[in-house]
Amino acid sequence: MEGHVSYPILAPVIKKYPATAGPLFQTYNDLSLAQRWESLEVIDLSNALRGGFRGRRPGTTESSVVVPCFLTESLSMSWISSVFQDLPDVKDFYLAICTEDSSVVYYRMSKGIVKPPM
Amino acid sequence: MQLNANQHIKSGGRKQNNNEKYRHAFPLVFTARPWPSRLIGVVGLGTGSLDNPECLGIFDPHTKSVWIQTSRDSNILWTRGFFGKGNLSRSEPSWHDRQKSSVLTSEEITAQRREARKKFKQERAQALLEAAAQAEAAFAVGQEAPAPVLPSRPAEHLIIPKRPTKDDVLEEDLPKEPTEDLEHLQLTLPEAFFLVWGLGCLTIVDPNTHMPMSLGAVWGSFQNAYSPSPSPSPGLISRLDNPFLINYLVYHHYRSLGWIVKSGTKFCVDILLYKRGPVFSHAEFAILVIPVYENAEDQKSSPFDLPNAGPISWTWLGTINRVNSQVQKTVILTYVVIPSSTSVSSDDRRTPACLSRFSLREVPLKRFIPARMRD
Repeated sequence: MEGHVSYPILAPVIKKYPATAGPLFQTYNDLSLAQRWESLEVIDLSNALRGGFRGRRPGTTESSVVVPCFLTESLSMSWISSVFQDLPDVKDFYLAICTEDSSVVYYRMSKGIVKPPM
Repeated sequence: MQLNANQHIKSGGRKQNNNEKYRHAFPLVFTARPWPSRLIGVVGLGTGSLDNPECLGIFDPHTKSVWIQTSRDSNILWTRGFFGKGNLSRSEPSWHDRQKSSVLTSEEITAQRREARKKFKQERAQALLEAAAQAEAAFAVGQEAPAPVLPSRPAEHLIIPKRPTKDDVLEEDLPKEPTEDLEHLQLTLPEAFFLVWGLGCLTIVDPNTHMPMSLGAVWGSFQNAYSPSPSPSPGLISRLDNPFLINYLVYHHYRSLGWIVKSGTKFCVDILLYKRGPVFSHAEFAILVIPVYENAEDQKSSPFDLPNAGPISWTWLGTINRVNSQVQKTVILTYVVIPSSTSVSSDDRRTPACLSRFSLREVPLKRFIPARMRD
C-alpha cells in the first residue's frame, strides 16, 4: 500500500487511525479512479475514529461526505450520531462498506426520517 | 481486457469465445502427451507435463488481501478459475481499458442497459398516465376509451455496440492513453491460501521485507491479520475461531467440490457459488456461514466478534431469503462447527491439519407458499 500513488495523500490520516487504513485506501481509490469523483479531499472524523472524504459526484454541484468502514465492523446508532457530530452542517453522508475482495458498497445515511424519492 | 473482441460477435460465437478463453478450470495446466507416450501412460508410467504459471502476489494486511500486480498473472488467475477481482472493476480487471474510450467494457454495457431500461420505464409511466387521462375523458363523454399504446420493451431498442473502426475515429480525437495501469487483481485471503497451499501456483511476498513468505509464515500472517492487537509474531498458536480459519474452511470445501466461490456482499450473504463461472451464468446458491462453537466457553473467551454466531432472528433470515429469491438464488445455511480448544493439540493448530477437526453442515432454505406450490 505504501508504494501506491494514492498513499501520500492518505498518509497523515492513516498514521493517526491505522486500524481503518484498509477501507480508507480502498474507498479513496474507488472514488477517485473508478467513480471519478471531483475535488476529493481527506477529512478527519475524530468522533468516529477514522478519516473520511469530501468531494463531488460527477455531474453534481454539491459536495458529499463519504465515511469508510469494514464489512465486519459492528456499527451502532451512537456511532452514526457521532459522525453527524463531526460534521455539523451535513444532513446525510455515504457509508462506504469495504470488503476483502475489494468491493465497496455505498449506503446513504440521513439524519432523521427522510421520505424516499418517487 | 479482451472483452471488446466479443461485442460484434453473435451470441453463439461469444459462447464459443468464452469456452475457449476460460477452458482451464485451474491455473495449473496438464499438457497433453503425444500418442506414443500415451501408450506408456496406459500402463501407469509416463511423462505428462505440468505447466505451473508460478504467479507472484504481495500481502496487504490493511485490506486483508493479496494483490497481483502484473497483467500476466492477473490474466492467468482470472481466466483459469475466476480467482480474484479487479479492485477498480466489477469483476475482471478492466479499469485500464475503460480509460481508453475506444474499448467497450462490461461496466459500460451495463450502464447503457440501465439507461435504456430507465428510459423505457419513464416512457411507459408516461404512456399509462396519458391512457388513464384519455379513458377519463372518454368516460365523461360516454364513449369507449381507445386502447393504450405502450412503448416496446427496451431489448428492442438496444443497439449492440460496435467496436469503432479506424474510419470512425480520427487519431487526434482519441484521448491520450494513461501510461500506468493503477489497478491490481485483489485476492481474498482464502483464495490466496488455496492457490499457495492447495495448488502451489502462487508465491506471496511480505510487504515489509519484499521476500517470499514460507507456507508457515503465510499461515500465521493470514490469521494475525484478524488479530485485534497490532502485529503479533507469526507462528502464534491459532485460536480455532479465527475468522481466517472459518472462511478458508468454507472456501476450500466448495472449491474442492468444483464450485467457483465469490463474495456475496451484494446479496447480503457471505459467498456465492457459480457452477462454471460468473461469465457463463448467474450464481445458483447464496451461502450464509454460521459458526457454531462445540464448547461454549470458547465463545465467551473469544476476542473475535464472529458474524452470525449468535441466535438468528426470523426477520433477518426472512429478509435475506426475500432478497435472494427475487434474484432466483437458493439460500443455504452452512453451519461450521468449531471444535473445542481442548480437543485440538497446539501442534495441530500450527498447521492446516487443524482444519480436518472442523465439520460442516448445510441446510438449504426454501420459502413455501401453499397456494402456489401444489405439486
